[in-house]
Amino acid sequence: MSWRAAFRLSQVAFVELSFQAIYAFRQGNVLPPGDTTKLSARARSRVLQSKGLVAGLLGFLTVGAAFILHTASFVAAVLLPTPIPVPMFQAGVLTALLSLDVAFLWWTGLQVLPTFLSAGVLPVLEPLPIDSPTLRQTAVILYLRLFDLPILTLLVLTPVVVGLALGPLAGFAILPGVVAAVVFALALALVTGRFFVRRVQGSRGGGGRSILRWTYMVLWVVPAFGLFGFVTLAPAFFGALTTLAAAGPSLGFDALVATFPFSLAALPPLLTDGSSSLPIGDGGLELLLAAGGGYVLLAVGAARWMGRAIREVGIAPPGIPVPADPRPPTLRTTGAIYAVLVKDLRMASRTPGYAFLILLPILDAVALGLLTYVTGPRPGTATSLALGAVTTAALLATFFGPAFFAIEVVAYSYGRTLPLSDRSLVLGKVSLIGAIYLVAGGLVLALADLRLDQPLIFLGFVLAELPAVLAASLLELGILLRRARKHGLPLVNLYTGAWVAILVSIPGLFVASAPLVAFEALRPYPQTVAVAAMALVALGSLSAIGLFVLRRQTS
Amino acid sequence: MDAGPATGSGIPLRVENLSVAYGERTAVDGLSLDVRPGEIYGLLGSNGAGKSSTIKAIVGLVRPARGTIRVFGFDVLTDSLATKARIGYVPETSMLYEALTPHEFLEFVSGVRRLDPERATARTRDLVTAFRLTEEFDEPIASLSNGTRQKVLVVAALLHQPPLLVLDEPLNHLDPRSLRLMKDLLAQYVRNGTRGVLFSTHAMEIAEQLCHRVGILDHGVLRGEGTLASLRERGAEGDASLEEIFLHLTQEDEGVRAALASLEKT
Repeated sequence: MSWRAAFRLSQVAFVELSFQAIYAFRQGNVLPPGDTTKLSARARSRVLQSKGLVAGLLGFLTVGAAFILHTASFVAAVLLPTPIPVPMFQAGVLTALLSLDVAFLWWTGLQVLPTFLSAGVLPVLEPLPIDSPTLRQTAVILYLRLFDLPILTLLVLTPVVVGLALGPLAGFAILPGVVAAVVFALALALVTGRFFVRRVQGSRGGGGRSILRWTYMVLWVVPAFGLFGFVTLAPAFFGALTTLAAAGPSLGFDALVATFPFSLAALPPLLTDGSSSLPIGDGGLELLLAAGGGYVLLAVGAARWMGRAIREVGIAPPGIPVPADPRPPTLRTTGAIYAVLVKDLRMASRTPGYAFLILLPILDAVALGLLTYVTGPRPGTATSLALGAVTTAALLATFFGPAFFAIEVVAYSYGRTLPLSDRSLVLGKVSLIGAIYLVAGGLVLALADLRLDQPLIFLGFVLAELPAVLAASLLELGILLRRARKHGLPLVNLYTGAWVAILVSIPGLFVASAPLVAFEALRPYPQTVAVAAMALVALGSLSAIGLFVLRRQTS
Repeated sequence: MDAGPATGSGIPLRVENLSVAYGERTAVDGLSLDVRPGEIYGLLGSNGAGKSSTIKAIVGLVRPARGTIRVFGFDVLTDSLATKARIGYVPETSMLYEALTPHEFLEFVSGVRRLDPERATARTRDLVTAFRLTEEFDEPIASLSNGTRQKVLVVAALLHQPPLLVLDEPLNHLDPRSLRLMKDLLAQYVRNGTRGVLFSTHAMEIAEQLCHRVGILDHGVLRGEGTLASLRERGAEGDASLEEIFLHLTQEDEGVRAALASLEKT
């Protein structure tokens, strides 16, 4: 057998993987009504669309970064509050781009891996008379095919656009950084996936273990949070670069030089502008090259490790829970809405893709809250920062609303046989989104309280936005549920059903933004007036949408 | 809210002229049957005969192309919550919330069914002990064997003591002890004379031991229905087993002989 045989096997297996990614039949979904013979082709087409969407977003980021590189002399000298040497700025932009590439691909991997594992494609191949290297190669091809368009976009587009912006030499020089970024992202997705299978998925329930699982999830999600956190913290990053550039050669700059991805992102400006363009001291250039070479070697090692580990992860059963003394069963039963909320939280505590959606708005609020506290700006600025943090939390919670609906695809064929009304289902999910927003807002308030000039106004702002968050999620979930009943349940994890999630989020984002717009429009007036207007708009939206959605969801 | 009372009509299940189609393909065609109070009704058929499609239509997973289904008089389509509250369902495949433990899963089910916590706990303890699930009670469902998952589903179906049990191949993965327990439990379950059980299988010997009446489904059409004695009268040999009656009614006895002969040649 050979790579050619592995490719042939993967062709068949990928059809099944696409089918499971969209229809999640092995996870207990029911097939949508209608002609079942077209489902497989439809699934392949939707997976392709989703890969195209991820590739498009990465392409957009890459082209955007290239535009900034092209206009670097203007941006670095004129637009930034403190001017920064152009090569240093270019290295910073490329560092940001490679960091975003790693974070975005890793995040995509977190979304895709549960499907890769639950689809059970590799365990089906294992008992067949296929030799071990071919099975390993098939697993590698299948895993890569989940990311093929995004990876190709990065590997081809990045050198081309960087080359166009900074010259052909720079285009070639960025290639090691892109390759390392891709390999690290895929390896990180696999490491976290393996950790998930071994430690999280199989952990017992009860006895405070869910707190432990959430702690694991936070540790795990923090690096992937870089995707969003880096954007949030970009001004602070460029501020630090400016300070380092002004200070000249220093231990701090050496540390930066030795860090991924700066050591590889600095190569293009270094090659086009020479080593004097960066504040590199004695031995700094050697350190940069050694670190860059080290990361390339590490990427080679990671690629070799992945070659072995993908099959192992793909066929591994969930970790066996540590034996414990059985406790007499006690059921704490509650109402249906609370039952849905608790079920979703428990499932998310063992499902990284969902945990990420819950933790992202909260982590973002913590990051911005901490930034507000640590940097200690003037009270007026602190209030603006805190308001920004809460606004982001509201919009993020709303944007990810559709993804919480995707949890329902699991065991849908069982869940639909329970006497659970659509109203309870929607309200359970809306409660979860509202809780995420309130926790995020509460954290910002707790962290930034001392720096705010009017904490009570800020509390009013958090509470005034709450009805709009609830209204937006009600609207999104109402649309999804209607669609589910009509066409079969749409799977809307952000990779395999990205179009659905994005389209449904748009009206939700409008609803969540309306009170914020009202607040901004009335900012010249006393803040109590602006907050009151915001609350009125939010309550109005909730009343109208609540009436519209909940009146329809009766059975 | 425990299982709803068996009010409405006293008939646990009435299916009239049911048809189920997937696109162009008809899985069930004009099926009518009743599950009477105090009765275990066995729905028999080969693979693909339409048993699971019938059951999926009864529990609300598939929308019928035609016909009506009533559970204690409540229409499955127009009173779906009322019918679901009265049904305990064990699906054919143990596709559960893999990320939950049986404990968490049963808490969810009892929450959705709005069961009284004390009664639900007492009932759960009895069922968990009876099915020997105590050790696995706090382990994720993903790590459980098929048989254990099946037991979890059975416990969830019995938790609210529903007046109608709908069981799709419920004994597939059970060990001999649990199989015996399940059979005795079902017989006991309908003894009060108000409850009913609909139970699909292709294991003829189990149907023969357990069911008061059986319906034989073939290519989506009911070929025969009644007690074992009444079916024997429809042309099979005098002391024919249910398997022989089944093969006779579905006209598969000749087919089996021909297939064997063909295999012998190769």
